[in-house]
Amino acid sequence: MIDTLLIDCEQPESGVSDLIRRPDLGPRIMAVGMYALDEVALADYRALLIGMHCDQLYLVGRRARIEDFVSTGGTVLVSGHVAWPFLSGLDRFRPIADYRIADLEVRRESEHPVWAGVAPEDLTFRRGIAGFYGRGWHKPPPGATVIHSLGARRLPLDFAYAIGRGRVLFHGGNDLWTYLDAGNSAERMMPQLFDWTAAPVDA
Amino acid sequence: MSVAILHGGTYYHAEAILGPRYRDHFDRVIYAPELEADDLDGVAVLIVPDRLNPALLRRHRPLLLQHLARGRTLVVFAETQAHAWAPGVAWTFRPTNFWWWRQQGAEPAQRVIRPDHELFRFVDPQATVWHFHGVLHPPPGAEALIVVPPEPGGRDEGGALLYDDRVTTPGRLIVSTLDPFYHHGSHFMPATTRFLDGFLPWARAAAQGEAIRRESAAASG
Repeated sequence: MIDTLLIDCEQPESGVSDLIRRPDLGPRIMAVGMYALDEVALADYRALLIGMHCDQLYLVGRRARIEDFVSTGGTVLVSGHVAWPFLSGLDRFRPIADYRIADLEVRRESEHPVWAGVAPEDLTFRRGIAGFYGRGWHKPPPGATVIHSLGARRLPLDFAYAIGRGRVLFHGGNDLWTYLDAGNSAERMMPQLFDWTAAPVDA
Repeated sequence: MSVAILHGGTYYHAEAILGPRYRDHFDRVIYAPELEADDLDGVAVLIVPDRLNPALLRRHRPLLLQHLARGRTLVVFAETQAHAWAPGVAWTFRPTNFWWWRQQGAEPAQRVIRPDHELFRFVDPQATVWHFHGVLHPPPGAEALIVVPPEPGGRDEGGALLYDDRVTTPGRLIVSTLDPFYHHGSHFMPATTRFLDGFLPWARAAAQGEAIRRESAAASG
């Protein structure tokens, strides 16, 4: 059953085509072109996935529609860096100047079903390189639950918050669907994201 | 004659193009969904930054072709599917190896084969080395500036990462599979910042050279 809408920006190695081809996850997804979003009835879906390659100015123009989708019980996953806040509760990306590896260490602040069994070090490093998952931070809105932070200053990286009857899950780094082939526990994120979006909102 | 660039409303375009480091290198910054013909009047060099949504470039193809038909310069970076809309472009996908430099005895695959080209008076050849997104097969008469050998797995026969084509259209089409705007604008991979530090002054010089060429042509005509 298709219950998730993903905005596609035609980036070959963005993980979108890998996600759609996955026998377990692909059948749940409808991919829509960035500039075809107006042609889609959001109410037909449980979840909307917005990634790092999306046109945020275009989304700013659809803010009321997206907020209406969330507040009536939908789930939105936002990943990437925010330049133009397109949803209530989002703020601009704040880079870490002259970061070192220790600044990029992912720390778990609270448990969340999407990251169950995912080792933070598998998020910190990808093929031995730090920074893919997070290299800066965003200020969470009041009442948000911070899930991961970065470095000794514990700068907020991933957090969850509510809008009306719905929920927003925010990840301030490279899209979660680029980890489908991570070769470690980070691969658990996407299947668990789909399990979580299908669960009742109070889960 | 001026330098213009498109942007696609992403964070990395905002940071790289509208951010303080490079904003003054552009006479005109155009939000790509709103591009109109008038925006390209007086533009000598138009830059399509890497990862601009290809749907926009297909939509604006008539304007981009018109820009080249006027004898002007178009520079197109990686992951914009130039092969789907730009004249003479042929491209082969190659999975991106972003970790090559961590492998023992690592040497970059790419070679600058035209170090005498004007671009390298501005760009340090070492600043073109990070990774790349597929290989280009330049059309006859185009100059390949940076090349890679065939992929060890036999997926492709090698090709160019950057070429300069002054023959396929009345204008000048520079195509690359490098993605400096994305990485600089994502605060990731310092070589990409060094690349833009040289490339953007080259774009300015190319636009000025175009203006001088046109003036002298007009004077002699």
